[in-house]
Amino acid sequence: MIVGVPRALLYYVYYPLWRRFFAELGVGCILSPPTNEAIMNSGARAVVDEACAPVKIAMGHVLALAPEVDYVLVPRFVSVEPRTYICPKLMGLPDMIRQSGQKTPPLLAPDIDMSKGYFGLARALMDTSRCLEKGLWSTVRSFHHSLAEMRRIKHKLIAGQTPEEAFHGTSRRRKPGRRLRIAVLGHPYNVYDPLLSMNIVDRLRAQGIDVITAEMLPLEHISLGLSQLRKKLFWSLSKMVLGAGLYFVNHAAEVDGIILLSSFGCGLESLVADLLERHARRQEFPFMQLTVDEHSGEAGLITRLEAFVETVEGRILNARNLSPHGDHEFRHAGTP
Amino acid sequence: MRVTFPHMGTMSFAMQALLENLRLQVVPPPPITNRTLMLGAKYSPECVCLPFKVNIGNFIEAIELGADTVVMGGGIGPCRFGYYAELQQEILQDLGMRVNMIVLEPPQGANGGLWSRISKLSVGQSLWHVAAASYFAWHLCKGLDGVLQSLDLLRARETVPGSCDRIWNAAQKSIGQARTYRALRRAEKEIRHEIATLSLHLHKRPLRIGLVGEIYMLLEPKVNLHLAERLGYLGVEVHRSMSVSDWVARHLVPNPRARMHTRKVHEAAKPYLRGFVGGHGLETIGESVLFAEGGIDGIIQVLPLTCMPEIVAQSLLPSISQRYGVPIITLVLDEHAGEAGLQTRLEAFVDMVGARRVHRGGGVSCAK
Amino acid sequence: MPSKVFLGLDVGSVSTKVVAIDALGQVLASSYLPTQGQPIAAIQSALREIARALPPGVPVAGVATTGSGRVMASALVGADVVKNEITAHATATLRVLPSVRTIIEIGGQDSKIILLNHGVVTDFAMNTVCAAGTGSFLDRQAHRLGVPITALGELALQATSPTRIAGRCAVFAESDMIHKQQTGHSLSDIVAGLCEALVRNYLSNVAKGKTIVGPVSFQGGVAANVGILRAFESALALPVIVPEHYDVMGALGVAYLAQPIAGQTRFRGFGVVAANCQVKGEDCDGCGNRCEVVGFSINGRVQAYWGDRCGKYSHENYLSVGT
Repeated sequence: MIVGVPRALLYYVYYPLWRRFFAELGVGCILSPPTNEAIMNSGARAVVDEACAPVKIAMGHVLALAPEVDYVLVPRFVSVEPRTYICPKLMGLPDMIRQSGQKTPPLLAPDIDMSKGYFGLARALMDTSRCLEKGLWSTVRSFHHSLAEMRRIKHKLIAGQTPEEAFHGTSRRRKPGRRLRIAVLGHPYNVYDPLLSMNIVDRLRAQGIDVITAEMLPLEHISLGLSQLRKKLFWSLSKMVLGAGLYFVNHAAEVDGIILLSSFGCGLESLVADLLERHARRQEFPFMQLTVDEHSGEAGLITRLEAFVETVEGRILNARNLSPHGDHEFRHAGTP
Repeated sequence: MRVTFPHMGTMSFAMQALLENLRLQVVPPPPITNRTLMLGAKYSPECVCLPFKVNIGNFIEAIELGADTVVMGGGIGPCRFGYYAELQQEILQDLGMRVNMIVLEPPQGANGGLWSRISKLSVGQSLWHVAAASYFAWHLCKGLDGVLQSLDLLRARETVPGSCDRIWNAAQKSIGQARTYRALRRAEKEIRHEIATLSLHLHKRPLRIGLVGEIYMLLEPKVNLHLAERLGYLGVEVHRSMSVSDWVARHLVPNPRARMHTRKVHEAAKPYLRGFVGGHGLETIGESVLFAEGGIDGIIQVLPLTCMPEIVAQSLLPSISQRYGVPIITLVLDEHAGEAGLQTRLEAFVDMVGARRVHRGGGVSCAK
Repeated sequence: MPSKVFLGLDVGSVSTKVVAIDALGQVLASSYLPTQGQPIAAIQSALREIARALPPGVPVAGVATTGSGRVMASALVGADVVKNEITAHATATLRVLPSVRTIIEIGGQDSKIILLNHGVVTDFAMNTVCAAGTGSFLDRQAHRLGVPITALGELALQATSPTRIAGRCAVFAESDMIHKQQTGHSLSDIVAGLCEALVRNYLSNVAKGKTIVGPVSFQGGVAANVGILRAFESALALPVIVPEHYDVMGALGVAYLAQPIAGQTRFRGFGVVAANCQVKGEDCDGCGNRCEVVGFSINGRVQAYWGDRCGKYSHENYLSVGT
């Protein structure tokens, strides 16, 4: 039996866990190739236009895996910690794929719902063991072992590797950034998707800029950032973004500026980006939001990145009295 | 303390009655106009959903009239609504508006905290008084919703165009402004009488169209560009999947009948959507299935642009349309939505649904 | 000489179309004029053209209007039928090309897809607010490139390798196009890229999720552009037919809808071309809505109202035009 893992959405968080889990269980596991135009286009054709680019890309990866696998792993992520949620579109994704009218292999789609407590995980494991026809005990044991893998990977992330580098051991030795240190925040499937983000991390690194993302921060720093909020945030993805953002805004020595990369039409980001921008503006902290989707052109992104980097540099030179805020939004003005 | 609240269909009347019966000075926000939408859109994040923007517009216009306290809903769930109030406070603060926001939700999930927030509004009044005022507001809301529901069905048959609208205007003034059970009962009786004596084309068999979708867009006529009325004038019997009082019955109070309905809706949605996706995405699917099984002629889904749960529902509706052979159209609205475009879509949809009914054999299946 | 004629008016935001047909449905005269923000003047000049083209003294037996200005147009000329554009286009196409299963209509500011089966509309969609899949997008880019809009199609056919122009909306497509121009792509390749971008935007926005079955009819002003036609053919891998009166199909459709009208027409006569029309807005203080009610008067007499939400004034129109 072969399970296909789409290189999309929460792959960028949980792949090491899944890989180890399937390996321990003796189930074959293959990964779809990095996002390319063909994947994006086939996904965009199969999903309603109102859906966000990451969902379209995920659909494309499922279609790309279809000819080669017995199952595709698309967990129904509802919640990964009590009283928080992922995102409605991710909660509906397995059903969206099933009802899309596309030819897809059966989905391995356990409900991952810990909104009411961690025992929700037990159900997910039971579902999986039934679906893969493996014993419940070996499923639980494999899962337990794969959690250790997640901790190992987190160390690599904190050392400054991106998830792709940490997962596949492709990290190369880099000289420390000569120029600046910039935080690139956003949902992991936006920031690390090579096509959607247009390799923003590598682009900045190539210019001698140190990049730090929310995933590279220890969780304590994220919680420290979040402690600024009156009401607890209840979306796991946004907690990472806003927690990291608020931490950086209040620890100005950590980074020189924040870039928030979000996909067009993202519901969570519409609130979170605005909150973060308000906090950044009050502290006069350099902040830029880039909004991308499947129609974005590279030229626009490059221009904005360069302008932002130069503004941040100028600000450092000019004794920190320049506010780099302005119309940096990279988006489709005409789309609603 | 001068209290205000956001508009949402008939809830506005209930809210006003509740707050006034708590002997508070109430500044209801002015009716939603283009200015409200414009203010809301100007000061809200661009990609946030429309209800958020209209709320902001309501708050600003009420604060202009002297309101200093805003009562707002909250909660925790995948939908953005739960975090509305937090960002709205920041926005009003950055605008330099000194306003106190009371969010009616259990803070950090502790129910005890909810009472302390309510008691900010009910200074010196007993729990009993608050409960009685809430109970009255619920009756008032139910009364208005009942009228609205009848008119949704009857507008297609009225012989004098506009007579249903006249009744609705009267109901808003009489039922909506009632503050005692006596006044409420009298007003309801009057309106019921008017509805009963309405001159109707009784032989007419109008098309039946179900409205599903995001609750705010379903229920706030100024924001959905008077969708139900438009359909009525096109000769359509309108079946709304939800009213404000339905929502209260299903979510806020332990009402066994409403709970049973919710279970039925979830069961109906199951073959298409396995579990809840926040907001009313699951309800949209379930209600559509129930409508289709009931032999409805067409279904209209209405949602604010970028609404996450409804986008999930939207992508599943074609399966239902195909399975039951019922036409379904999705209307995505935001502050730029034009009336002309909406009217054209509605007319075309009604034409299409009508032609299909004729094609299917004289609408036998719809004789109900 | 025909015994009687029927008029169809399609008043869009970009262009105004008028068609005159005889009792058999033959097109006797048609007129296509830019609206230029003055629909009343446009209707009047279009009617003047039609009146000139028709044999003198033919009675007008029915008039119908469609398009975003249909209510105003109906008040102006006195229409028997007021219909939405979707039904109008479907009616015309079903009469002219009965076998067509899919209609692609791209006009100045609107684009539509209409699916037909057994002579009935089974599904339809219109573009959302964005203008990237419409004619005005093409107009604007042609203007920017300095190419007359009529030459755009021929130019696109000369392309050897169409360049890819990114962007969901007009503004971004434009900036990407400028970028491509500056990197030295040939004009014809850019124009062909534009045509492909428009088709791509149309298919991914308007036609999203619709199963397109042939034969396909391509109509609306943009159908004059061969470049777009070819791009559609290659994207759909289906034969695409452009009907003879592709640019006035909406007007033709309502003219057909006016044909079954029995009895006296409400048509005010061709005299309206010289009428002095006034549109006056007034705030109504009947309720909290404070709608701007627009009164439409001809030669000083109020003929119709619109703009009121409650229908206090416009019910009269609903009664008289019978949508």
